[in-house]
Amino acid sequence: MAFNYDKYLRLQKMPTLWCWGCGDGVILKAFVRAIEKMGIDQNDVCVVSGIGCSGRFSSYVDFNTVHTTHGRTVAYATGIKLADPSKMVICVAGDGDALAIGGNHTIHGCRRNIDMTMIVINNFIYGLTNSQTSPTTPKGMWTVSQKAGNIDPTFDTCDLAIASGASFVARETMLDPKKLEKVMIKSMEHKGFSMMEVLSNCHINLGRKNKMVSAMENLQWIDDITVPKRKYDAMTEEEQLNLFPTGIIKQDTEADEYCDMYAEIQKVHQGERKKITQDDFAKKI
Amino acid sequence: MAASPMVNPGDQPVWVNTDNCKACDICVSVCPSGVLGMKYESTSTLGAMISIDHPEACIGCNECELTCPDFAIYVADKQEFKAAGFSFAKLTDEAKERQAAIVANNYMSLSEQGVK
Repeated sequence: MAFNYDKYLRLQKMPTLWCWGCGDGVILKAFVRAIEKMGIDQNDVCVVSGIGCSGRFSSYVDFNTVHTTHGRTVAYATGIKLADPSKMVICVAGDGDALAIGGNHTIHGCRRNIDMTMIVINNFIYGLTNSQTSPTTPKGMWTVSQKAGNIDPTFDTCDLAIASGASFVARETMLDPKKLEKVMIKSMEHKGFSMMEVLSNCHINLGRKNKMVSAMENLQWIDDITVPKRKYDAMTEEEQLNLFPTGIIKQDTEADEYCDMYAEIQKVHQGERKKITQDDFAKKI
Repeated sequence: MAASPMVNPGDQPVWVNTDNCKACDICVSVCPSGVLGMKYESTSTLGAMISIDHPEACIGCNECELTCPDFAIYVADKQEFKAAGFSFAKLTDEAKERQAAIVANNYMSLSEQGVK
């Protein structure tokens, strides 16, 4: 007997529709293992996904799942979390889903610091629609929409989340599933908005014209552009250029969580406390 | 009902659910001891299928199971495997050389000839 994945999967949907060697499957596996390790009941987890290759994530796992509209994962998840704060809510979005069409929702989810985990699967391209430039496509790469080379500056998901006020920010790659699983557990245990960026491969649509035809070549490229955070911090600014730090980048356990604050509002309406004033925010509610 | 693919078929250290395998070569590339290799298979999507050539060399590191995106390859649980009276091998130089040869052979099993 190996690890029992069947318990958490919808077996009638297998095999997955993802291409051969797609990192999404590895992330799905790490996620399932993390849930098993945390010992959470399947009925207490809600997985919300958007549109894109990553959108299929919710179809394969046997939790409470919602496959929502393009980019609106955080909006739906906020509603679910506020309706029942005892449930664990996981958003899964791709780079286009979370940063392009859903960029606005991502920013405001981070700002509210609502207790949910957002897994952003970043494969540097719009994979499902055949390689158009996404916000995270590196400069100079070939895409269908910029055949002469991409000139758009690259978005950094983690920097965006930190600037918007997420209280837990981490970046991992699919190269090391054991480490991915550990960081995923930490991000799900954290109370507050956890932004978890996972760098993944798309050798089919990113790699085919960018000299990374096989999964291994694409993974090698991801390995080359990432460094552990401790190493990254010791580097000079020149060396840091075009590199991504991996590991836990920010962890703030002190920040106010949105569901707690919302419970205070409910108390006001039930007549259990006075109205919230600006003075309440000098200290923690 | 067919047996669950999680259940070890006949005390193997590593086994494959060929219904799910898409022949992406990732498990072959991460194996440290040359246990796995690809074989030509005309009915498969990419014309190849994973085969377990040297199960006796498996060290039980679980890397292939963790990096398989398609829930196709499984490694026996260490404690259960020991309780059944079997043990995983130690990593040897011969195994490392075999792995290097398989990677150099474009992830194809060494018994297969030609280019993929």
